[in-house]
Amino acid sequence: MTSELSPAAADYLLAFADDEHMIGARHTAWIGMGPFLEEDLAFCSIAQDELGHAVALYEFLTDDVDRFALLRKPQEYRSCAFAELECGDWVDALVRHWLYDRAEQLRWEALSGSANQSISEVAVRAEREESFHRAHAESFMSRISASNDTSSISKLSEAIVRLLPVAQGIWQPSDREEEAIREGFATASSASMAQSWNSMIQEDLLRWGLDIDVSSSTGALGSRTERSQGFERLLASLQEVINIDPATAW
Amino acid sequence: MLRSWKDLDHFQEFIDSGGIVEPGDDMPDEYRSEVFRFIEFHANSELMGGLTERDWIPKTPGLRLKQIFLAKTQDEIGHAHLLYMVAADMGVKSRNQMIEELFAGKSRFHNVFHYQAVTWADQVAIAFLVDAAAFASQRAVFAQCTYGPYKRVLKRIVAEEGFHLRHGEDMLMSLAEGSPIQHQMFQEALERWWWPAVQLFGPDSDPADPLLKWKIKSERNEVLRMAYIQKFVPLLQGYGFKIPDDELRYDEASKKWLTSEIDWEPLKATMRNGGPDSRRRIANASANWSETRWVRDALDAAADNQSKNAAADGLARSAGTAA
Repeated sequence: MTSELSPAAADYLLAFADDEHMIGARHTAWIGMGPFLEEDLAFCSIAQDELGHAVALYEFLTDDVDRFALLRKPQEYRSCAFAELECGDWVDALVRHWLYDRAEQLRWEALSGSANQSISEVAVRAEREESFHRAHAESFMSRISASNDTSSISKLSEAIVRLLPVAQGIWQPSDREEEAIREGFATASSASMAQSWNSMIQEDLLRWGLDIDVSSSTGALGSRTERSQGFERLLASLQEVINIDPATAW
Repeated sequence: MLRSWKDLDHFQEFIDSGGIVEPGDDMPDEYRSEVFRFIEFHANSELMGGLTERDWIPKTPGLRLKQIFLAKTQDEIGHAHLLYMVAADMGVKSRNQMIEELFAGKSRFHNVFHYQAVTWADQVAIAFLVDAAAFASQRAVFAQCTYGPYKRVLKRIVAEEGFHLRHGEDMLMSLAEGSPIQHQMFQEALERWWWPAVQLFGPDSDPADPLLKWKIKSERNEVLRMAYIQKFVPLLQGYGFKIPDDELRYDEASKKWLTSEIDWEPLKATMRNGGPDSRRRIANASANWSETRWVRDALDAAADNQSKNAAADGLARSAGTAA
């Protein structure tokens, strides 16, 4: 299903779709690597949801989701560095999941009010799923924080401090975001969502008793037209099988 | 309801008359120990099977297909989760103990999960050939299973594995009817996975196998293996694949496909955790288990703190009421 979208709306959706695809792809690396079986099951489920969101968004942009999602050139992707990032440690994957899903909440809310009825319906459905993801992140972040174990809390805090600057890159707008807002396709700018996001995560940290000042974390927004370090390796891995015989259906 | 039996003969009469054993029963030690060992092996196999398939998930050549493989892996790990709980309820080992022994290389799991999936076609071979072999043995256990909790969990597992099998066949068809490259990929995977899949059923059953006597297994290994060969030889040949067995022949007298003599050494090696990929698989799982210990410890500490706080709150409230 492709629908008539303005170039600005398509550009706006591409950034979000690629973020969802990359975060879903990165989450799959953590299946079977969690601290216990229930966590492996949760990450399986979350990764499926994110990939499902990517499919739902790509369907607005193409009739051939798999080829579009997997077979573009690196410079044609518009994902942010945070979604592309390879996490070397499970705690980083957890913290990214919390920061990303907090941002995702705002991004879906902004689309749920879209003048485009189809994207609005997708957004409402996706946001319902996201509430479970946030509950999952909250349950881990709050319980590790409540352990009173200095070493565990340090591990968590260090991961937050390490990832916060990269996470800011989620808010790098697509090139024609202002136009997409003027058209009524999107209802909030990345800059305003970034402000809300900063407040939300600061409130989360306060609730968990973690002494981290979000406002002191400044990261370069980065650019959605430049790929992060490691992206080419990620893409090569995503394409490894389909590239064996790209002309054939798999 | 606590039921007990005077001796093994009375217990056997109960089993033979269609009795189902429940966890609260005073079951014979021999039964408890054999059934526990069997369920632990099944749980370990589901977990290690899920971990085998995870290696190829990131490379799945399609987004919806990736969701399907994720769901399948989720099912396999979910089966392990359920089976570990059933096994732990038998009071022999805790779930943690079973997992730690597995990752320490002290436990067994199915032979097929001691091999590495080296191409995408291996992933398909696992989804089709290996899952079909495992499904056949699980269904045979479900048929009569006399341990109630295991039978109830198997009902769900067998239903889900049925979906996996259909998906595996779809995947096989896409390679079989795809390009020559895809066809050749599966042929090569078949050469790697045919014998391990056939060996999964194990050597001929010992007539005195207590699991047969106590109706955990409803069918002898050789019967299940033969049925598998009769089904899959013509099916794979029909798709244009060559079974890697030069002595494979159709016996007109018995109307059966007969294979060459099966070499059981590879199976025995896997049971000693000495299969081709056993060491890497177990080491990876073990390293991850160690690296994430701090999370389990932190969550335990948080739960303890919560209990202490709740107890302190309770005391404070009681003191308040008394005052």
